[in-house]
Amino acid sequence: MKADSRAFALVAVVIALATLPWWAGDLYKLHVAALICAYWVLIGGLNLVVGYSGQLSIGHVGLLAIGAYCFAILAGTHGVHPALAVAAAGGLCALCGFLLGLPSLRLPGFYFAMATLAFALIVSELTLAQGGLTGGGVGLSVPGFPRPFDTPQGSYWLILATAALVTWLTWNVARSTWGRGLVAVRDSVVTAQAVGVPVFRAKLTVFVFSGFTAGVAGALFAVLQSYITPDTFVFDLGLFFFVCIIIGGRGHIVGPAIGTVVLTALPEMVAPLAKLGNFFYGLLLLAVVLLVPEGIGRVFELLIERYRGRRGESHVVKPDLERLARAIEASGAK
Amino acid sequence: MLVALITGLATGALYAAAALTYNVMFSTSKVLSVTTGHISMLGGIFGAWFVSTLGWPIPLALLGSVAVGGAFGLVTDFVAIRRVLARSDEHLWLLSTLALATMVQQAAGLWWGTEPRPFPRLIPQDFSAGMGDQKYWLPILVAILLAVALELFYRRTLYGKLFVAMSEDAFAARARGIPTGRIRAMSYVIAGAMGGLAGFAAGQLTFAYFALGLTLTLNGFIALAVGGLGSNVGALVGGAALGILSAIATYFVGGEYQQTISVGLLMVVLLVRPAGLFGSQSVRPV
Amino acid sequence: MTLAARDITKRFGGLTALSKASLELKPGEVHGLIGPNGSGKTTLLNLLSGYYRPDGGSVTIDATDVSAASVQKRAHLGVARTFQKPRLLPTLSVLDNAMLGGWRDARAGFLSTAFSLPGAGADERELRARAEELLHGVGLSHAIGRRANLLEHAEQRFLEIARGLAQRPRFILLDEPAGGLTPAEIGHLGAVIGVMRQSGIGVLLVEHHTDFVFRISDRVTTLDVGAVIKHGSPDEVRRDPEVIRVYLGA
Repeated sequence: MKADSRAFALVAVVIALATLPWWAGDLYKLHVAALICAYWVLIGGLNLVVGYSGQLSIGHVGLLAIGAYCFAILAGTHGVHPALAVAAAGGLCALCGFLLGLPSLRLPGFYFAMATLAFALIVSELTLAQGGLTGGGVGLSVPGFPRPFDTPQGSYWLILATAALVTWLTWNVARSTWGRGLVAVRDSVVTAQAVGVPVFRAKLTVFVFSGFTAGVAGALFAVLQSYITPDTFVFDLGLFFFVCIIIGGRGHIVGPAIGTVVLTALPEMVAPLAKLGNFFYGLLLLAVVLLVPEGIGRVFELLIERYRGRRGESHVVKPDLERLARAIEASGAK
Repeated sequence: MLVALITGLATGALYAAAALTYNVMFSTSKVLSVTTGHISMLGGIFGAWFVSTLGWPIPLALLGSVAVGGAFGLVTDFVAIRRVLARSDEHLWLLSTLALATMVQQAAGLWWGTEPRPFPRLIPQDFSAGMGDQKYWLPILVAILLAVALELFYRRTLYGKLFVAMSEDAFAARARGIPTGRIRAMSYVIAGAMGGLAGFAAGQLTFAYFALGLTLTLNGFIALAVGGLGSNVGALVGGAALGILSAIATYFVGGEYQQTISVGLLMVVLLVRPAGLFGSQSVRPV
Repeated sequence: MTLAARDITKRFGGLTALSKASLELKPGEVHGLIGPNGSGKTTLLNLLSGYYRPDGGSVTIDATDVSAASVQKRAHLGVARTFQKPRLLPTLSVLDNAMLGGWRDARAGFLSTAFSLPGAGADERELRARAEELLHGVGLSHAIGRRANLLEHAEQRFLEIARGLAQRPRFILLDEPAGGLTPAEIGHLGAVIGVMRQSGIGVLLVEHHTDFVFRISDRVTTLDVGAVIKHGSPDEVRRDPEVIRVYLGA
């Protein structure tokens, strides 16, 4: 029953998203929807880093920028096929993630956060300085996708499909042994070590993965923007990605996804919020941290639990020794 | 070249002041607050506002900036630290101070404008003084003053000794009846006042600019990590080294790579000496 | 076929926590480790499981010197442990916590997990079945789907044991497992430890409940101020005048 209703909800969401171009009304709304999907490609990957392994990267905008510029330079300046350019953007950012993570993921939390912040500032500095490559402050125009993705609808579907793919990948990771290992890294390094999780390697692996998705997101984002300058990639954007995850709830996928949708769409619909911008995000972040540190996702979980009522409250431990012996025999010590 | 050096030294002094501010807050709470740079940003902006817009005399504006900094320090403790420290999650203070810093920066941008505005002259002086200009030596003087005052405070006063006791072992301090909550709030007020003073003193160098906070949070942290967390001498040396290095690099390579170079310095130091130049305890990731 | 510490010395700053302490844990035995507070019991356990490096002496598994091996490496060699204060993942379910112990058996790499390749799914199912059986076995049938932060203290202790067993260990190190348990729960704990012994697992039992230790241990080692003062069968140790003087009291 529960699984059924979940599957039903999933199908409904997929249909609603896939048919969006027909009921969205105007092209601007479709553009915002595509933008949300492009953001989610990055945030979905970043979620494994921030939400699962607990590494607070606030500078992923730097990777987004690298991906965007890589795509614009390859597909625009050099005429490389866009599909190849997207893959190259992902690959380059995975490499950058590796190079950034290698020294910084060994450091304690605040040091790591500062390293990612510094990384974002460095990228922005370099895009300005390397004018020959990036157009400096003037920027670069970005070519669109080839047919059949050259229409607003086509590019929306392409980006939506990418976002769905990222969701599926992270979903698989989150509910596997890997997901549990990452949560152990986040909540108790000591436990992670005790069961054999290679802490640093696990962190680095998901960080590199998030680099790849950030690079792909950068390429998609650049196409949506059609023109990029260093100002497109302000640090605030990196903060926004991060806030979406924290507000949505660490250790969830649906929560951060809803966070991304709401936080992107809200300022578009409510003009005063757009003006407040970061102040609003900061306030939300503060409220969540102080009131529901586990994020909005947890609030929904709690509501559902309350709705269902508390089940069996027994706390009595009653070992079944024969079963235990069989279980140990069956698994067999190494 | 000499002007580049003195500019670097003055900027480095501001970083050093930020590193000292970090240290004061860290000593009582073990928190590295993202708001550190924003305190000085407020000091600069309010200083400019007090003098240029409200027309206050300089000494009063100075006191005003210090008071604004101290008040913001208190707000930081009250809003972002007090409730969060009660929980055991290490990451929460990073999030709460980041949230507060973001809010303050945006509020300052909305109120003051996003363009840097000039900071008034504090002491009557000709603009032709060159290297002797007040905008260079005021921040340097203040950073040294703050470091010396802090050392005297820690060594000579009762409250200073309480700070030290708390930084060594907060649980033991509480067990011995030290009101740790009040001491921590006090340390945040002091840190705020220090940051406000530094921001005011360096105003002519940095201009009154809303986005100064984040850069200063980062560079102050780099100075701190290079010098060694917890060490006030290290803060001064780290700040000076960072400032001078960026100045030299700017002189030879150009100003476009400043951030890259300062982070490079940090990485080299952390690789060679993870605890920083003057740090005593090793950085433990667990 | 043993986990052994030989002449281990460990210093923290100027303080010597252990000096030339030795201990040998064999498969299929329950080995009690007792001593007054601060005598170095937990330090020794941390040295065996790899959280500390010894300043002198060595830790070996079988004939291999693992003194410098990481905690993870030792987990892979078959050493599991529990903690004085249970360390669970509060946001995950009881089942997920137990399944965490199966990390080393999940061979699927990150990418094959992400793309949900067939091998990854099979590993996962097998692991789930094993964890469920173990949870039923240690007596947590009622709590399998519950979030771990909703567990009471005793349940947390038994969950840690289930997680340790899910590692398929050859040796399991229990750090004060009876702490905070009721007499009835201590009885259950003793029975569970008995099953582990019968299955050929070496159990190191660091404990303050000396009656409990003497009742279920095959051998007992007593520490005082970082040194082993007596080692032998429960009866020998219980009657040793030195042990009575420093620990058991007259």
